[in-house]
Amino acid sequence: MGEYASSDAAAALARAQELSSMVRKRTAWYVRYQVVYGCAAGLLVLVIGLVKAPFGPAIGAGGWGATIAVLSVYAARQPVARRGFGRWHGIMIGTWALLYSAVLWLGLLFFRGDVSWWVPGAVVVSLPGLIGGYLEARK
Amino acid sequence: MTETHEATGAASDAAPPPGSHPRHGLDEVIHAPVRFSIVATLAAAEKAEFAFVRDTVEVSDSVLSRQVATLEKAGYVAVTKGYVGKRPRTWLALTADGRAVFAAHCRALRAIAGAEG
Repeated sequence: MGEYASSDAAAALARAQELSSMVRKRTAWYVRYQVVYGCAAGLLVLVIGLVKAPFGPAIGAGGWGATIAVLSVYAARQPVARRGFGRWHGIMIGTWALLYSAVLWLGLLFFRGDVSWWVPGAVVVSLPGLIGGYLEARK
Repeated sequence: MTETHEATGAASDAAPPPGSHPRHGLDEVIHAPVRFSIVATLAAAEKAEFAFVRDTVEVSDSVLSRQVATLEKAGYVAVTKGYVGKRPRTWLALTADGRAVFAAHCRALRAIAGAEG
Protein backbone atom coordinates (compact mmCIF):
# COMPACT_ATOMS: atom_id res chain seq x y z
CA MET A 1 0.00 0.00 0.00
CA GLY A 2 1.66 3.24 -1.11
CA GLU A 3 1.60 6.63 0.56
CA TYR A 4 -1.85 7.92 1.20
CA ALA A 5 -2.45 11.68 1.38
CA SER A 6 -4.93 13.27 3.72
CA SER A 7 -6.86 14.56 0.71
CA ASP A 8 -7.20 10.97 -0.56
CA ALA A 9 -8.46 9.86 2.83
CA ALA A 10 -10.94 12.73 3.00
CA ALA A 11 -12.15 11.93 -0.52
CA ALA A 12 -12.66 8.26 0.39
CA LEU A 13 -14.64 9.23 3.49
CA ALA A 14 -16.76 11.64 1.46
CA ARG A 15 -17.45 8.87 -1.05
CA ALA A 16 -18.49 6.55 1.77
CA GLN A 17 -20.87 9.19 3.07
CA GLU A 18 -22.31 9.74 -0.40
CA LEU A 19 -22.92 6.01 -0.88
CA SER A 20 -24.48 5.74 2.57
CA SER A 21 -26.89 8.56 1.69
CA MET A 22 -27.83 6.82 -1.56
CA VAL A 23 -28.63 3.63 0.34
CA ARG A 24 -30.69 5.55 2.88
CA LYS A 25 -32.76 7.20 0.17
CA ARG A 26 -33.48 3.84 -1.43
CA THR A 27 -34.63 2.34 1.89
CA ALA A 28 -37.40 4.95 2.38
CA TRP A 29 -39.87 2.30 1.21
CA TYR A 30 -39.93 0.98 4.77
CA VAL A 31 -41.54 4.24 5.99
CA ARG A 32 -44.46 3.64 3.61
CA TYR A 33 -44.61 -0.02 4.61
CA GLN A 34 -44.97 0.79 8.30
CA VAL A 35 -47.52 3.58 7.81
CA VAL A 36 -49.73 1.35 5.64
CA TYR A 37 -49.33 -1.46 8.18
CA GLY A 38 -50.37 0.83 11.04
CA CYS A 39 -53.38 2.27 9.22
CA ALA A 40 -54.56 -1.17 8.07
CA ALA A 41 -54.15 -2.61 11.58
CA GLY A 42 -56.32 0.13 13.12
CA LEU A 43 -58.98 0.03 10.41
CA LEU A 44 -59.35 -3.74 10.51
CA VAL A 45 -59.62 -3.79 14.30
CA LEU A 46 -62.53 -1.37 13.97
CA VAL A 47 -64.18 -3.62 11.38
CA ILE A 48 -63.72 -6.73 13.52
CA GLY A 49 -65.06 -5.05 16.63
CA LEU A 50 -67.88 -2.92 15.30
CA VAL A 51 -69.32 -4.76 12.29
CA LYS A 52 -71.70 -7.53 13.36
CA ALA A 53 -70.52 -11.13 13.25
CA PRO A 54 -69.94 -13.01 11.06
CA PHE A 55 -69.31 -10.13 8.64
CA GLY A 56 -66.90 -8.11 10.84
CA PRO A 57 -64.48 -10.94 11.66
CA ALA A 58 -64.74 -12.32 8.11
CA ILE A 59 -64.00 -8.95 6.51
CA GLY A 60 -61.28 -8.29 9.10
CA ALA A 61 -59.55 -11.63 8.48
CA GLY A 62 -59.83 -11.33 4.70
CA GLY A 63 -58.67 -7.71 4.70
CA TRP A 64 -55.75 -8.54 6.94
CA GLY A 65 -54.72 -11.46 4.72
CA ALA A 66 -54.85 -9.21 1.65
CA THR A 67 -52.91 -6.43 3.39
CA ILE A 68 -50.15 -8.79 4.53
CA ALA A 69 -49.92 -10.35 1.06
CA VAL A 70 -49.60 -6.95 -0.66
CA LEU A 71 -47.06 -5.64 1.87
CA SER A 72 -45.01 -8.86 1.68
CA VAL A 73 -44.79 -8.67 -2.11
CA TYR A 74 -43.93 -4.97 -1.86
CA ALA A 75 -41.14 -5.66 0.65
CA ALA A 76 -39.77 -8.63 -1.29
CA ARG A 77 -39.43 -6.51 -4.44
CA GLN A 78 -37.26 -3.86 -2.78
CA PRO A 79 -33.58 -3.98 -3.77
CA VAL A 80 -32.12 -2.95 -0.44
CA ALA A 81 -32.94 -3.01 3.27
CA ARG A 82 -31.23 -0.63 5.64
CA ARG A 83 -28.80 -1.77 8.30
CA GLY A 84 -30.71 -3.06 11.34
CA PHE A 85 -33.88 -3.64 9.34
CA GLY A 86 -34.48 -7.19 10.60
CA ARG A 87 -34.21 -6.28 14.27
CA TRP A 88 -36.32 -3.14 13.89
CA HIS A 89 -39.00 -4.98 11.93
CA GLY A 90 -39.11 -7.75 14.53
CA ILE A 91 -39.66 -5.22 17.33
CA MET A 92 -42.42 -3.46 15.36
CA ILE A 93 -44.26 -6.70 14.51
CA GLY A 94 -43.78 -8.12 18.01
CA THR A 95 -45.21 -4.99 19.66
CA TRP A 96 -48.13 -4.93 17.24
CA ALA A 97 -48.85 -8.63 17.87
CA LEU A 98 -49.00 -8.12 21.64
CA LEU A 99 -51.31 -5.10 21.39
CA TYR A 100 -53.47 -6.66 18.69
CA SER A 101 -53.94 -9.87 20.71
CA ALA A 102 -54.83 -7.94 23.88
CA VAL A 103 -57.31 -5.57 22.18
CA LEU A 104 -58.99 -8.35 20.21
CA TRP A 105 -59.13 -10.88 23.03
CA LEU A 106 -60.54 -8.49 25.65
CA GLY A 107 -62.80 -6.77 23.13
CA LEU A 108 -64.38 -9.93 21.78
CA LEU A 109 -64.91 -11.27 25.30
CA PHE A 110 -66.21 -8.17 27.06
CA PHE A 111 -66.81 -5.27 24.65
CA ARG A 112 -68.55 -6.56 21.52
CA GLY A 113 -69.85 -3.58 19.53
CA ASP A 114 -68.71 -1.10 22.19
CA VAL A 115 -67.32 1.95 20.37
CA SER A 116 -65.64 3.25 23.53
CA TRP A 117 -63.40 0.13 23.52
CA TRP A 118 -62.80 -0.44 19.83
CA VAL A 119 -61.91 3.11 18.75
CA PRO A 120 -59.14 3.56 21.35
CA GLY A 121 -58.15 -0.06 20.70
CA ALA A 122 -57.79 0.66 16.99
CA VAL A 123 -55.61 3.68 17.74
CA VAL A 124 -53.39 1.64 20.08
CA VAL A 125 -53.00 -1.17 17.54
CA SER A 126 -52.05 1.27 14.78
CA LEU A 127 -49.34 2.93 16.91
CA PRO A 128 -46.43 0.48 16.32
CA GLY A 129 -46.67 1.01 12.56
CA LEU A 130 -47.27 4.75 12.73
CA ILE A 131 -44.58 5.45 15.33
CA GLY A 132 -42.22 3.10 13.50
CA GLY A 133 -42.82 4.96 10.25
CA TYR A 134 -42.30 8.31 11.95
CA LEU A 135 -39.03 7.23 13.56
CA GLU A 136 -37.84 5.64 10.33
CA ALA A 137 -38.56 8.85 8.40
CA ARG A 138 -36.58 10.91 10.93
CA LYS A 139 -33.44 8.79 10.63
CA MET B 1 -21.43 10.37 7.83
CA THR B 2 -23.66 8.59 10.25
CA GLU B 3 -23.05 5.00 9.13
CA THR B 4 -19.35 5.47 8.74
CA HIS B 5 -19.07 7.10 12.13
CA GLU B 6 -21.10 4.28 13.68
CA ALA B 7 -18.87 1.77 12.01
CA THR B 8 -15.76 3.61 13.04
CA GLY B 9 -16.65 3.48 16.68
CA ALA B 10 -17.32 -0.24 16.63
CA ALA B 11 -13.93 -1.81 16.06
CA SER B 12 -11.48 -0.66 18.68
CA ASP B 13 -9.82 -4.09 18.64
CA ALA B 14 -8.43 -3.45 15.16
CA ALA B 15 -6.65 -0.23 16.13
CA PRO B 16 -3.06 0.29 14.97
CA PRO B 17 -0.41 0.14 17.69
CA PRO B 18 0.17 3.42 19.56
CA GLY B 19 2.67 5.66 17.82
CA SER B 20 2.42 3.98 14.44
CA HIS B 21 1.17 5.82 11.37
CA PRO B 22 -2.59 5.54 10.89
CA ARG B 23 -2.07 4.11 7.39
CA HIS B 24 -1.24 0.79 9.08
CA GLY B 25 -4.92 0.60 10.00
CA LEU B 26 -5.94 0.52 6.34
CA ASP B 27 -7.10 -2.84 5.05
CA GLU B 28 -5.47 -3.87 1.79
CA VAL B 29 -8.49 -5.75 0.50
CA ILE B 30 -10.96 -2.89 0.82
CA HIS B 31 -8.39 -0.20 0.07
CA ALA B 32 -9.01 -0.58 -3.69
CA PRO B 33 -11.50 2.13 -4.76
CA VAL B 34 -14.17 -0.16 -6.23
CA ARG B 35 -14.04 -2.59 -3.33
CA PHE B 36 -14.14 0.33 -0.89
CA SER B 37 -17.27 1.64 -2.62
CA ILE B 38 -18.90 -1.80 -2.54
CA VAL B 39 -18.18 -2.21 1.16
CA ALA B 40 -19.29 1.37 1.95
CA THR B 41 -22.58 0.71 0.17
CA LEU B 42 -23.13 -2.56 2.02
CA ALA B 43 -22.16 -0.98 5.36
CA ALA B 44 -25.32 1.13 5.24
CA ALA B 45 -27.49 -1.84 4.32
CA GLU B 46 -28.55 -5.06 5.97
CA LYS B 47 -28.54 -6.62 2.52
CA ALA B 48 -28.67 -5.31 -1.02
CA GLU B 49 -29.39 -6.76 -4.42
CA PHE B 50 -26.47 -7.28 -6.76
CA ALA B 51 -28.07 -4.95 -9.34
CA PHE B 52 -28.59 -2.20 -6.77
CA VAL B 53 -24.93 -2.33 -5.72
CA ARG B 54 -23.82 -2.42 -9.37
CA ASP B 55 -25.86 0.71 -10.18
CA THR B 56 -24.89 2.54 -6.99
CA VAL B 57 -21.17 1.89 -7.38
CA GLU B 58 -21.42 2.40 -11.15
CA VAL B 59 -19.55 -0.64 -12.38
CA SER B 60 -20.37 -3.44 -14.81
CA ASP B 61 -21.74 -6.85 -13.81
CA SER B 62 -18.40 -8.52 -14.49
CA VAL B 63 -16.37 -6.01 -12.49
CA LEU B 64 -18.76 -6.28 -9.54
CA SER B 65 -18.70 -10.08 -9.72
CA ARG B 66 -14.92 -10.13 -9.66
CA GLN B 67 -14.61 -7.68 -6.79
CA VAL B 68 -17.35 -9.38 -4.77
CA ALA B 69 -15.56 -12.71 -5.26
CA THR B 70 -12.42 -11.15 -3.75
CA LEU B 71 -14.40 -9.73 -0.82
CA GLU B 72 -16.18 -13.05 -0.32
CA LYS B 73 -12.87 -14.91 -0.32
CA ALA B 74 -11.59 -12.50 2.35
CA GLY B 75 -14.68 -13.26 4.42
CA TYR B 76 -16.00 -9.68 4.26
CA VAL B 77 -19.08 -10.22 2.10
CA ALA B 78 -21.73 -12.96 2.13
CA VAL B 79 -23.50 -13.81 -1.12
CA THR B 80 -26.99 -15.31 -1.10
CA LYS B 81 -28.95 -16.45 -4.12
CA GLY B 82 -32.73 -16.75 -4.27
CA TYR B 83 -35.84 -15.91 -6.21
CA VAL B 84 -38.40 -13.09 -6.12
CA GLY B 85 -41.31 -14.70 -7.92
CA LYS B 86 -39.67 -16.42 -10.89
CA ARG B 87 -36.78 -13.98 -11.11
CA PRO B 88 -33.42 -15.10 -9.75
CA ARG B 89 -31.80 -12.59 -7.42
CA THR B 90 -28.39 -12.32 -5.79
CA TRP B 91 -28.13 -10.59 -2.43
CA LEU B 92 -24.96 -9.16 -0.95
CA ALA B 93 -24.35 -8.41 2.72
CA LEU B 94 -21.36 -7.49 4.86
CA THR B 95 -20.30 -10.13 7.35
CA ALA B 96 -19.48 -9.23 10.95
CA ASP B 97 -15.78 -9.39 10.00
CA GLY B 98 -16.44 -7.14 7.04
CA ARG B 99 -18.14 -4.55 9.21
CA ALA B 100 -15.33 -4.61 11.77
CA VAL B 101 -12.64 -4.24 9.10
CA PHE B 102 -14.54 -1.42 7.39
CA ALA B 103 -14.90 0.33 10.75
CA ALA B 104 -11.16 0.10 11.38
CA HIS B 105 -10.43 1.21 7.81
CA CYS B 106 -12.67 4.27 8.19
CA ARG B 107 -11.03 5.16 11.48
CA ALA B 108 -7.62 4.98 9.84
CA LEU B 109 -8.89 7.19 7.01
CA ARG B 110 -10.19 9.74 9.49
CA ALA B 111 -6.89 9.69 11.36
CA ILE B 112 -4.98 10.27 8.12
CA ALA B 113 -7.37 13.03 7.03
CA GLY B 114 -7.15 14.65 10.45
CA ALA B 115 -3.44 14.19 11.12
CA GLU B 116 -2.18 15.47 7.80
CA GLY B 117 -5.04 17.75 6.83
